[in-house]
Amino acid sequence: MPKLIDKPRLLKKLKNFHDYVRKNDGQIGTMQRGIDLNLNNACNLKCEYCFTNSPIGDHAKETLDLDMVASIADQADELGIFEFDLQGGELLLRPELLFQVLEAIQPERFYLYLTTNGYFLDKEMAQRLADAKVGRVSVSVDSFDEQTHDKIRGRKDSWKRAMQALKNVQEVGIDPYLNITVGHFNAFSEDIEMLCQYSEDENYTTLLNVAVPSGMWLKIDKIDEVVVNEKDKTRLIELRKRHKNILRNIWNPFDRSYEDVLGCNTVNRMYITPIGDVLVCPYVHIKIGNVYEQSLKEIRDFGFTIKHFSEHSPLCLAGENKEFIQKYMSYEGQSIFNPAVAKEIFTEADYVGVELQRMEDE
Amino acid sequence: MSNKVKYDQAFINSFSINESDLNENVEYESIPEWDSIGHMGLIAELEDAFDISLEMDDIIDFSSYKKGIEILKKNGIEV
Repeated sequence: MPKLIDKPRLLKKLKNFHDYVRKNDGQIGTMQRGIDLNLNNACNLKCEYCFTNSPIGDHAKETLDLDMVASIADQADELGIFEFDLQGGELLLRPELLFQVLEAIQPERFYLYLTTNGYFLDKEMAQRLADAKVGRVSVSVDSFDEQTHDKIRGRKDSWKRAMQALKNVQEVGIDPYLNITVGHFNAFSEDIEMLCQYSEDENYTTLLNVAVPSGMWLKIDKIDEVVVNEKDKTRLIELRKRHKNILRNIWNPFDRSYEDVLGCNTVNRMYITPIGDVLVCPYVHIKIGNVYEQSLKEIRDFGFTIKHFSEHSPLCLAGENKEFIQKYMSYEGQSIFNPAVAKEIFTEADYVGVELQRMEDE
Repeated sequence: MSNKVKYDQAFINSFSINESDLNENVEYESIPEWDSIGHMGLIAELEDAFDISLEMDDIIDFSSYKKGIEILKKNGIEV
């Protein structure tokens, strides 16, 4: 398992990102950091809140071709992107495809990770992933209680296998991330506390994802049950200060005082669907381009001309900004495969001159 | 403040560790705090403390407390 200092290209990009953030008062600004690639949307579980509609088999057969994956990786590297998150669906349903994709990406250039439910991640698979230079595996766990997790996931033994998967990847030197979804419904539950403590005790990293009313949860009348409120947010901050192994994508990972906020990562982490559509993030289902029609740079530059995505937001737009959710994430049938189209929903007032500014900077 | 104190302080600040946790045998990933994120923080602290800009090769080679002293020496800083 190569360490960061054995990946010079990655280290250089990470240093550039770090220096940019420092100079930009700890904010992410218009610096890109990652690609979230939904390789294939088929899944073996039926999670109640799936944001990709996998449980209903939405576009379960499509996948990007390998040449396009390689091109995306090359373009991402050129843009200085250092994180590459492969996700689904469930990636390990089609392991041979996954390993072909890993080879196409050339993981030595990236902090490459998989987001998985862990169901098929046994010791042998963990070793294969380590050999393929996967740096991190994120496994989503919904509860410290086995039955609760299995009920949410719709399959027996999914909790046991998820927990074992984290151990398996840790044993082969891959960074284990325990992903927890936190919404208003569970922010103050003892369950969350137990999961956070367990993750810390096991020397994992905890990644908190705030619950987002999209995909299977696109029920705008239930928004107050799903989305964290002000009191819930203070709970997340308190957890961050106390456990110190907890990250959120909007928090500044370099800040050892555990207080700084990078800002919402829309466009900074573009989400690519199996049909090539590029959304501003995995949870905000707004399309800003398609990799078969434009370059990543063109798509990024267009994305940052939209002020909602280029201006600093200390809140996660998809999970914390109710005004944004109600205005732009509540279209009938909106999903990763039926996204709102940026050029159709935004008006002139929603755009800024960032593209021009970037050209002047360069 | 001596260079040794500044050097140690960079480790303590960037890793949020106690002085007692720091010794000359500390290496990259030998303590949980010196991970990839911590590495970036350490380099930034050192660049600020000594008003230098480290080359990428030096950042890659900076794999231990002892190695760091050699790298700073190469950059004209005696610790």
